[in-house]
Amino acid sequence: MGVLPYAVTTYIGAVILLAVVLAALGWRMHPLNRDDIVPLVVLCVMGVLSESVRGSDVGPRTHLSFTSIVSLSSVALIGPFGAAVVGAVPHLLGFNKDRAQVRVFNCAMNSAHSAIAGFVYLRIGGLQVVGPDSGPQELLLRVGLPLMVADVALCLSNALILSGIVRLTQGTPIRRFVLGMLGTSGLAYIGYGLIGFLFVILWVPAGVGPFSAVLILAPLFAARWAFVQYGDEQRAHERTLRALVAAVETKDLYTRGHSERVALLCDLMAGSLSLSHQDTEALRFAGMLHDIGKLAIPTRVLRKAHGLSGAELASMATHPARGVEMVRDIEFLKGSIQAILYHHERMDGRGYPTGLSGEQIPLFARIIAVADAFDSLATSSSHRDAHTVEEAVAELRRRAGTQLDPAIVAALERALVRHVWQPTRLEPELMATAGRAFDHDDPAASDLMASPAHLESSTSGEATSELASAEASSEPATPDPALPEPNGANPFWAKETAP
Amino acid sequence: MTNRAKTPKIEVVLGVLATVLTLATLVAVGAQFREPAMFATLPIVGAFFVAMVMGEIFRVTLPGSRHTAPMATAAALAFAMTVNSGHGASAGYEGPLVVAVTAVAMAFGLIPNVIRGRPVRLPDLVNRLIGIAVAALLFRGLPISNGRTVLDLQASWRPYILALVMVVVSAIALTVEVSLMAAVRAARSHAPLLRTFRDEWRAAFGLSTALSATGALVALAERPMGLVAIPLFLVPLFLTQFAVRRQSAIRRTYRQTIRTLSRLTELGGYTEVGHASRVAALSMSMGHELGMSEREMLDLEYAALLHDIGQVSLTEPIPGGATVLAAPADQRRIAHDGAEIVRQTGVLENVAVILEAQTTPYRQVREFGEILPLSSRIIKVCNAYDDLTGNNSGRGGRDAAIERIHLGLGYEYDPRVVDALVRALARTDQ
Repeated sequence: MGVLPYAVTTYIGAVILLAVVLAALGWRMHPLNRDDIVPLVVLCVMGVLSESVRGSDVGPRTHLSFTSIVSLSSVALIGPFGAAVVGAVPHLLGFNKDRAQVRVFNCAMNSAHSAIAGFVYLRIGGLQVVGPDSGPQELLLRVGLPLMVADVALCLSNALILSGIVRLTQGTPIRRFVLGMLGTSGLAYIGYGLIGFLFVILWVPAGVGPFSAVLILAPLFAARWAFVQYGDEQRAHERTLRALVAAVETKDLYTRGHSERVALLCDLMAGSLSLSHQDTEALRFAGMLHDIGKLAIPTRVLRKAHGLSGAELASMATHPARGVEMVRDIEFLKGSIQAILYHHERMDGRGYPTGLSGEQIPLFARIIAVADAFDSLATSSSHRDAHTVEEAVAELRRRAGTQLDPAIVAALERALVRHVWQPTRLEPELMATAGRAFDHDDPAASDLMASPAHLESSTSGEATSELASAEASSEPATPDPALPEPNGANPFWAKETAP
Repeated sequence: MTNRAKTPKIEVVLGVLATVLTLATLVAVGAQFREPAMFATLPIVGAFFVAMVMGEIFRVTLPGSRHTAPMATAAALAFAMTVNSGHGASAGYEGPLVVAVTAVAMAFGLIPNVIRGRPVRLPDLVNRLIGIAVAALLFRGLPISNGRTVLDLQASWRPYILALVMVVVSAIALTVEVSLMAAVRAARSHAPLLRTFRDEWRAAFGLSTALSATGALVALAERPMGLVAIPLFLVPLFLTQFAVRRQSAIRRTYRQTIRTLSRLTELGGYTEVGHASRVAALSMSMGHELGMSEREMLDLEYAALLHDIGQVSLTEPIPGGATVLAAPADQRRIAHDGAEIVRQTGVLENVAVILEAQTTPYRQVREFGEILPLSSRIIKVCNAYDDLTGNNSGRGGRDAAIERIHLGLGYEYDPRVVDALVRALARTDQ
């Protein structure tokens, strides 16, 4: 990372200037006196402490910024100038291993928004020196209320200044960034304001002084500790689930990594469908576990390349239900169960296990169906090479409306614009050891299994011949002109036969 | 596996103590309220009572299925340590009133939980009440200088000294509670007291720190703020409680997932149904017998649940899934594959180490001085026992299995572990 772009440097310069001007104004409005020195030092120490624990991971979607609590407490205890100093000091000391530019920017930004909160507090009549004899009502109205307003100002100015730099460096629109930030940490700021208020009360009216810091921080650090543990365990949990699912997949060599890729695709599509965090989580788990039921299908059937009898196809079709059986008892997967059960349903109602159609199919199941088909096409198999992303998408588009939901296919296309996807090419050695196998996720297999005639004619052998023909015709090495071409509605098979 | 049949002696003693304490303090309070001056304390008493009942309703389960009610405890501690504010409401009550009101609040808080069918563990409540009684005694009852209590003396102290004293009093009260909890647990699980005490502290430390600070916080803030202080100053603790709740929820989830994954080999037809969970349950009670700590027990449980996961790498299942009947080389390969699979997670290294060594015969330790984790030795014995009993879980099957294990004593199996197996089995009979 060398020189920053001109615009970014200018922006950082402007923020520094703003911070200096605000601090100077703060000094004019309310200069520090001798009594302010102890609170200033204690608050700076608290700020440094908070800053030193910031950034260590506390789990997704959990923001715990004690820095804001420190800023707000300084606003009421020592005024805008003091708040500006307390906002700047932790970053100057540089506990985090941020780059110098980042540190300078954070320093200026925190100083500036703390000072702004300080001005707002004074402007709307917040008491600067909180007397030890004030009654509860006065404390609530003249300290608590102004502090909450200052809190809002702090939150907003923080979001605005930050959005500028994010716009310049990452191109995120300001509006979206500000709204996003208010959405994720807006509620937390109310808590910060409240805790800052408690700290001020404890310090002056209750007369506890610097020791207040210990009393207030103890429950907060305990909370932080628990959040960190939570984050660790959550990551451990997800990794465990992923690794063990991958291990189970070894039974079926061709699908190695398939679940993980489907989970990733689901994650990407959740982004373009703007699903909530919780939904995304449930969808990802469903993607990871959608084929877990295959473990209950005899290896003999899974490793069979062609010539699956109707009965064998029918047994294959039980895997969604078997999967649900396996994971039903896991509480956190409650949101994923439906998706696992119905991920082989088709829009035209010819899917399995129940033949739901259109909107009847749960959204998550429709998403997984698309991810599943896409990954199958973009992975090499025993009878053909992997499709390129464009070919795979084109094929999905052809199937939109019959097998797949057009809206979801469109969502996948949008996701693939933003993220590069590499088709999965299995190594020849692996393919040699694995032999040939029937890929139930291949859209062609969906067509095959969709035809009730095939499932019923378990003894007549028709299904067998058609699948075999599909396999054979798609494999350039062993062309067999004696077998009929697969039906014309499915031109991609024909196209793929060309070497 | 806990025994429901027999209540350990210590629980009976504590229960009687708490009952006597409650009744005695109720009588004392009744006598005190003959004086009209006591009625001035009602606003404060009422406010704390409400806070305690609410806190009791919203309790928390800590990792390791420990039930506690942080908000209620903090409110009770603050109640025990509140001093006269001069803002109308009087705090001129004595220690017995604190104990009596806390006991009644606990009883009230129980009602919704009982109605909702949640498990109620009386020892937890009893120990908590005794802890609060200790706080009330230290702050309001015990004469520390010329027959004067902390409450009498504090008027001349600087507020921060008072704050410090409050934190210390809370810490002592919570230490008493945690120690009693450890004693109860040790008696229940037949584990050594010292080890249980250490486990108990490890689980409770974070929350206890927050609690002793919050108790002091509320008591101190009551002076300038009046009754509003009670809900307001419990807010930071609410955050702690929320975090702790999330933490124990994810622990539970993790366990559930491992349990489910342990069944995957069963559903795939590799192992017999219920084998993994039986081995896990038996391993756990043997771990207790052998005095393992809670951390070690968690690894042991996971390893026991996943001990057959290596079988998924087999093309064809072993008949009946019984690894004890497989050739030693195959056993080792399965163990190795299982360890590799678990190692892939990147977070279960301890479990992988246990799995790796689960088939190593005990003589390797004696003859070559190899280091063999105790957990591996336990799983080896449990696995053999469960495979050998097979479908015959009655007395006969059990004795036959033990006999066969005894044949491999010292050579294949660790005698100490086999003894623990025999003891654990005998205990389930009681």
